[in-house]
Amino acid sequence: MTTAEPQAQKTTVTVTVDGVTFEAQPGELVIKAAQEHGVYIPRFCWHERMEPVGMCRMCLVEIEGGRGYPPACTTPVADGMVVHTQTDAVKQIQDGVLEFLLINHPLDCPVCDRGGECPLQDQTLAFGPGESRFVEEKRHFPKPIPLSELVLLDRERCIQCARCIRFADEIAGDVLIDFVDRGDRMQVLNFEEQPFDSYFSGNTVQICPVGALTASQYRFRARPWDLSTVETSCTTCSMHCRGAVQSSSNRLVRLLAVDSEPVNHGWLCDKGRYGLEWVHSEHRLIEPQVRDGGVWSEVSWPDALDRAADAIETAKELHGADAIAVLGGARGTNEDAYVWSVLAKGVIGTDNVDAQLGDGLPAEFVLGMERAEIADLDRARAIVVLDHDLRDEVPVLFLRLRRAVLELGVPLVDLAPAAHGLSAHAAVIARTVPGEPLAANVHDEISRACEGRQGRVVVVVGRGNLAAAADSIVGAAAELARVHDVRFLSALRRGNVHGALDAGLAPGFLPGRTTLDAGRAWFTDQWGGVPAERGLDAEGILRAAADGKIRVLVLVGADPVSDFPDATLARRAIDAVDTIIAVDGFESESTKRAEVFLPCTLWGEKAGTVTNLEGRVQRVGRKVAPEGTAMDDWRIAAELALRLGRDLDLATVDEVTDEIARVAPAFAGVTSELVKSARDGAVLPVAGHLDEIVLRTGELSIMADDGSGTSWDPIKVHGEAPEEPADESEVTAHVDAPALHVWDRRAPQPEAPARDAYALRLVVGRALYDDGRLVSETPLLQRLVRDPDLRVHPSDLARIGVDSGGQVKVTSTRGSQVVAVRADAGVPAGIACMDFSADALGAALLVDAGQPVVDLRVESLR
Amino acid sequence: MGRFSGFLVTLRQMGKPRLTTEYPKVKHDKPERLHGRHVLNRYEDGMEKCIGCELCAGVCPARCIYVRGADNPIDDPVSPGERYGFVYEINYLRCIHCDLCVEACPTEAITETKLFEFSFTNRSDAIYTKDQLLVDDAGRAQRLPWELWLGGEDDATSAWMRATSPSGASAYEGRVSWSGELGFGVRPPEHGQQPANPKPQDD
Ligand code: SF4
Ligand code: SF4
Ligand code: SF4
Ligand code: SF4
Ligand code: FES
Repeated sequence: MTTAEPQAQKTTVTVTVDGVTFEAQPGELVIKAAQEHGVYIPRFCWHERMEPVGMCRMCLVEIEGGRGYPPACTTPVADGMVVHTQTDAVKQIQDGVLEFLLINHPLDCPVCDRGGECPLQDQTLAFGPGESRFVEEKRHFPKPIPLSELVLLDRERCIQCARCIRFADEIAGDVLIDFVDRGDRMQVLNFEEQPFDSYFSGNTVQICPVGALTASQYRFRARPWDLSTVETSCTTCSMHCRGAVQSSSNRLVRLLAVDSEPVNHGWLCDKGRYGLEWVHSEHRLIEPQVRDGGVWSEVSWPDALDRAADAIETAKELHGADAIAVLGGARGTNEDAYVWSVLAKGVIGTDNVDAQLGDGLPAEFVLGMERAEIADLDRARAIVVLDHDLRDEVPVLFLRLRRAVLELGVPLVDLAPAAHGLSAHAAVIARTVPGEPLAANVHDEISRACEGRQGRVVVVVGRGNLAAAADSIVGAAAELARVHDVRFLSALRRGNVHGALDAGLAPGFLPGRTTLDAGRAWFTDQWGGVPAERGLDAEGILRAAADGKIRVLVLVGADPVSDFPDATLARRAIDAVDTIIAVDGFESESTKRAEVFLPCTLWGEKAGTVTNLEGRVQRVGRKVAPEGTAMDDWRIAAELALRLGRDLDLATVDEVTDEIARVAPAFAGVTSELVKSARDGAVLPVAGHLDEIVLRTGELSIMADDGSGTSWDPIKVHGEAPEEPADESEVTAHVDAPALHVWDRRAPQPEAPARDAYALRLVVGRALYDDGRLVSETPLLQRLVRDPDLRVHPSDLARIGVDSGGQVKVTSTRGSQVVAVRADAGVPAGIACMDFSADALGAALLVDAGQPVVDLRVESLR
Repeated sequence: MGRFSGFLVTLRQMGKPRLTTEYPKVKHDKPERLHGRHVLNRYEDGMEKCIGCELCAGVCPARCIYVRGADNPIDDPVSPGERYGFVYEINYLRCIHCDLCVEACPTEAITETKLFEFSFTNRSDAIYTKDQLLVDDAGRAQRLPWELWLGGEDDATSAWMRATSPSGASAYEGRVSWSGELGFGVRPPEHGQQPANPKPQDD
């Protein structure tokens, strides 16, 4: 030990816990500092990601020189502190606390979903008295009662630690549950008539230290000992929260959050957490099919692949490669996207490829903007939100944003078109009007918000409005790019859309964020050829298809009729194409018309890498064997390439990952080995900061096997910085690789059509529980879907002459329909908000992709 | 001479009492703790004891038990409480009759009988389902077509005892602490046991 340092220069404090002496950061809590140095202090109410409250008294310790027994979870370390956690007095306290907690505890462990992984069980075994002196009848409550569709509460088992209540309040901001009554009747409850409908309610189930809160989906589905677990990333949205997916008898039964410092802080949203059942849906198509004379028949894989390859080859011969288009690819892994990119651009030779379905932002912008990382939010000078409602689009990013603003005090500049979950905490609100440029004083407002603060400005930019052309958002971003030291964080929501764009599934791009022109020579070398000209994006493809110029349309997990904002155009296009080849798991409005259906694997059935919205490449794990004969998307592409005369020579996922690392410039160095060994993945491009990547030093441990009770604290992946930084030479090896694309900020300012005083300008956003496939095939989530309604400012409602809740007729250039209308003071006057939905009531039939904005005429039915 | 010495053995035995029994018409008595095939017991009111907790499946070293639990239907509960055993299967091609499942069971739902004589002609017969394992309305094991046992052999299907006392407390040792059973009521104490005592004291 070195004690020679002079006291003045020391920034840490020296603490001794149970004879172990270590240095800790001042202000750190004893419970945490001790844990990091191998001393586990039992606890129930303390949670690393929440403020300590000292409610359960399980963590009481003895501190030399102090009075009494302070809780380790509220006591900060001090220099020279000597802590004892195992003295007789402390043992007696622990015995007492546990005996007290168990007075009324039902101990129905055999039927309790927590049994076998229960901190109360574990700690009673490790620290408890072994026997109780209480033989009286226990307190009884009806069990269980639903707090919401997703969460059940057994009040007999609750130990009143308030973790759930604190989570809902502090972290999620949904104050929907609280304690009622006192003494032994004290219980957690939701408020009357108001269920615990938080998008994040599942987290309370995971952090509840007992089986009081259980998930209705997981209830009695399995026991901990028959689960098998794989670490993975959730790809339900583009946040890619770290998780551990568990299966029993080859069925996915549970997804748990893993605490990843850069990404999700141990949280998941309910859609990601509970959206598992669709994988095993009875509606899934799991055998290849072809259609002859309008009749589907199941065929063998070779037959189906031959048929698809023939169609592609014939179309290419007769009409040229441009008559073939590929839509989709954002649902799979990077490997899937890359091999489809090789097939489309390298083998077939078409650039009519788009992973976004007109619901994103141009690849020129997304791939070329100066990127921020999620963690930059925490240390930003200010955060600018140029999107609609992040809580519905990228829920856990919303939690990170909320923490940055509320807990860390970063000023928020709110440029969303209507009020959202964070508007109440914004320093500046300047509502954008779709189609119109940003308010003239926005720069002044931003500098006002930043006053006296250091750091960068982070602009969170997403496609907040599906009814307005993406140009207006890019225009606004170009305007914001003039702010000093600004970075952008994409909030495009679709699963692995960033990975798909990085893999070149966008017109004018090749894998690794390089343009067709810049990468032509390099990729011609690698692949033997690339398309001559920039092709069409999704909207262009659908227009060309509607005009009969696209002969073969390949849909890789894409359903344009349900997902493209302008359903009318999408339907016309799908009806006009000669041959549709569908690579999907389900029959959809679009794949219904396919001639060849190739079933692909879904999340949980495939391994590989994915890229999240900050460009972080992480792994997804394969937990169950695919249903039927479903094949990985990349393998389907490789098989088709083979039939089109090119052997891609790829046998395993790892080989694909390594090929991407070799040929795609932005992926240089991101080998399968690196991704496997990096604890938190790697942010692209890694060149130049390879030594910052933290390597994992052990396996992910979900259940602490020492009975210490840590098991259901957010799961931690243990790791520390590697001794030797990884080899930079490999990353910089291909010097002649093309340069990365940089966004040209002189983006076009949109033409702003004048708003007419009688029309309402339409803003279409996505609700978290939409009518997408994942939700519609997961019965539990299906119940949470709200009927889309039109939300307008109360003054507009009065003008139209209907009451909130009434029906109105809305008319756009596309047609008219009748919807329910609701007054919402958060919506500015002159604007109408609606959730996207492709069904009869949805906005998709009102949107006209040909118009820069959609203006609605709204009439009362009377 | 040598070739007749064998007959001498036979002749000598002829006078002695016979040990061979006419199996299967006549059977030896079985030891009290014999581990045969299992039954799933029911309470005296007919409710199933199994709550589908999977503890037996978890402890089974041969991994031959498959259990799934489900919510008890509110209007027609199968077992007392929230959860019941919805699927219950034991694969007798794997079971080693170690009785660990019986010890693990918190409700004495699964116990081993003394019935062990069965021969299967196919694998699926060897996997006993819940319907087959469950005792009948008289509380007796069901005789399956491939089982060979006589009346009376199915008595005392739950004459079992924990090798360790519950909760490890010495106060429980030698005490009857099991619940009543359909057709039999509460089983009498065995040798060395005291009658049931709902509130054991420290002694
Ligand atoms: S919460 Fe824990 S201790 Fe309580 S019944 Fe459930 S498993 Fe047993
Ligand atoms: S329900 Fe669980 S998390 Fe909430 S107070 Fe009770 S024990 Fe704590
Ligand atoms: S007796 Fe042993 S091997 Fe047979 S089912 Fe029970 S635990 Fe398994
Ligand atoms: S037999 Fe006993 S241990 Fe097995 S599932 Fe049923 S109640 Fe649980
Ligand atoms: S009082 Fe410290 S963990 Fe609860």
